[in-house]
Amino acid sequence: MERKIRVLTAKLGFDMHNRGMSVVNRALRDGGTEVVYIGNQFPEGIAETALQEDVDVIGISSLNSASSLELMERVMDMIKKKHLEDRLVIFGGIILPDDVPKLKEMGVNEYFPPGSNVDSIVSYIKENVPQ
Amino acid sequence: MEANKSNIVKRKERKEVFTTSSGIPIKRIYTPEDVADLDYNRDLGLSGEDPYTRGIYPTMYRGKLWTIRQFGGLNAAEATNDRYKLMYQMGVTGFAIAIDDASLLGFDPDSPEAEDEVGVGGVSVFSLKDMEDMFDGLPIDKISTAVIQAINTTCPHTAMYLALAENRGIDLRDVDGTTEGDPCSFGGCMDLKVNPAPVRQLMRLCGDLVEWCAINAPKWHPVSFTSYNYREAGVNAYQEIGGLVASAVDLIEEVLSRDRGLTVDDFVPHYTFHLASHNDFFEEIAKMRAARRMWCKIMTERYNAKDPRSKMLRFHIQTAGSSLTYQQPLNNAIRVAYQILAASLSGAQSMHACSYDEALCIPTEESALLSIRTQQIAQHEINVTNVVDPLGGSYFVESLTNEVEKKAWEYMEEIDKHGGFVEAVESGWFRAEVEKAEMKREDEVRSGEREVVGVNCFKMTEEPYKVSFFRRDPQLVEKQRAKLQKLKEERDDREVEKALEELRQVTESGENVMPAVMKALKVYTTIGEISKVWKSIFGPIVPSGLAMTM
Repeated sequence: MERKIRVLTAKLGFDMHNRGMSVVNRALRDGGTEVVYIGNQFPEGIAETALQEDVDVIGISSLNSASSLELMERVMDMIKKKHLEDRLVIFGGIILPDDVPKLKEMGVNEYFPPGSNVDSIVSYIKENVPQ
Repeated sequence: MEANKSNIVKRKERKEVFTTSSGIPIKRIYTPEDVADLDYNRDLGLSGEDPYTRGIYPTMYRGKLWTIRQFGGLNAAEATNDRYKLMYQMGVTGFAIAIDDASLLGFDPDSPEAEDEVGVGGVSVFSLKDMEDMFDGLPIDKISTAVIQAINTTCPHTAMYLALAENRGIDLRDVDGTTEGDPCSFGGCMDLKVNPAPVRQLMRLCGDLVEWCAINAPKWHPVSFTSYNYREAGVNAYQEIGGLVASAVDLIEEVLSRDRGLTVDDFVPHYTFHLASHNDFFEEIAKMRAARRMWCKIMTERYNAKDPRSKMLRFHIQTAGSSLTYQQPLNNAIRVAYQILAASLSGAQSMHACSYDEALCIPTEESALLSIRTQQIAQHEINVTNVVDPLGGSYFVESLTNEVEKKAWEYMEEIDKHGGFVEAVESGWFRAEVEKAEMKREDEVRSGEREVVGVNCFKMTEEPYKVSFFRRDPQLVEKQRAKLQKLKEERDDREVEKALEELRQVTESGENVMPAVMKALKVYTTIGEISKVWKSIFGPIVPSGLAMTM
């Protein structure tokens, strides 16, 4: 049997707005991936869990444009420290439009703003997950 | 009946079925037949009269306009003070403090968790010093404030504001404002499997505040039941008010169960409520009218309340943040204006108009001004404030009010079957309901059945509007850490330790915690220190995943 794509999903830091995360988690499950949802977590915990759970994809959500860039920078640092650079990293939620290029520069593979069709997230993962 | 013939004339319409946002079928036209069972005196009455369907005060906005209470908080207390002064000049008539996530969850700026979180989602408020700086030069004896909370720091953040007032020489009995510390809000919106919360202990702390204020600070509203949060997380209009009434009832039971001599008329008159004004214009109006009638019925029939104020549903309205779009952000100003109009036609006591940039960031000065002006235009130009309950008597609105109320009662029964609201939250049933409703909404948006301008219809590939964005002060965490350090050097540590020990004792013994909290705040004990005491007794009151980094 083909191994399912494993996706770790997390809310970033203290941000408690989890409506989008629930919708995405369901779409990922319906789309045939295996979802490991860990609720709210800080960068160190996200990277550590990604390593332990041996996931293919790390999906992070935050509504707070005030902290998402700084926290994502820490996430990407931790990912490098744990040698997880080969995992696909996607960020969904709110980041100021001017900051989107910075997010990509730090190594985040794709950004999905609010209002994104969740099916496009699933198909992005399927097309881009490392083989 | 002659008038009803129009209902049966077959004509092609845009859709097979028309429904409200929550799925209630809507007819083409409404006639006297649709309100045939309506008994004017029993179901409506005059404003200021039982069952308060038409409004809780006789004169409503002819006597006093609703309070323009904008929710705000950014960076440190000093920056928020500048913003509040500006907003006061612009004409706000009430404040509502948006506290940052770190302070809400009980983390001081020097904790590792706070590293990138200080000033996120609001202003950093970790001691009485912050509260003093935030309200420096502002007339808190003339303007009321809402302390917006939902979690374990509700009592200390409230105590900070009350201590500030006392230090300024204002009698506690005269301090006017609200604590929005709905104890079920966190558990009702969060997945407790991954983010546990001690719901019962939060009920106890909230009950303590209600009990203490009833005796010591009678103009303070110690709780505002926040169905807004459930609505934002997913539930529909009738689920929102069913949950609202069920949660308020559970807190009545909590306070009565203490058997310390308070009757409902001692504390329920200080209850307030915080509802959403969402996109479905008439359904929202029907919802707010229905909620008033429900509250009056339950307080009369179940609790035999004598004080009319126990039966009045006083409510704050916040326009629906979740209806705002990231795309084409200026469109949000129009959504907000309609939602404010709906609330104006429904008799809300105070309102927060969201800002057009809130799907992106904390409001800028420019967008915050427009939110205030949106309310002022409704209050001063369009004459909706000249008359009470202008839609009362409309065949459609009365019929929809009845329907929303009926469904809300049914939903309350459903909640009762799951053990009441607190139990339904603890077991995760209510959260599952929230999620189910949200998935339905999401599916409707995805299929295009529910239209969202700029998102699933009338889309543009290039953003048409240029708006500026608010950015958090990048040096904030260092500044707040320095402030904390200075505070710790200047205060009397022995007093702090004594206060924390007393807090531990009363928390464990089951006494009311508020006197000890007030004492602790006055000697500049921090939010983090108080939270540590409670966490050691109640267990961690944070999203559980965070424990890994502790």
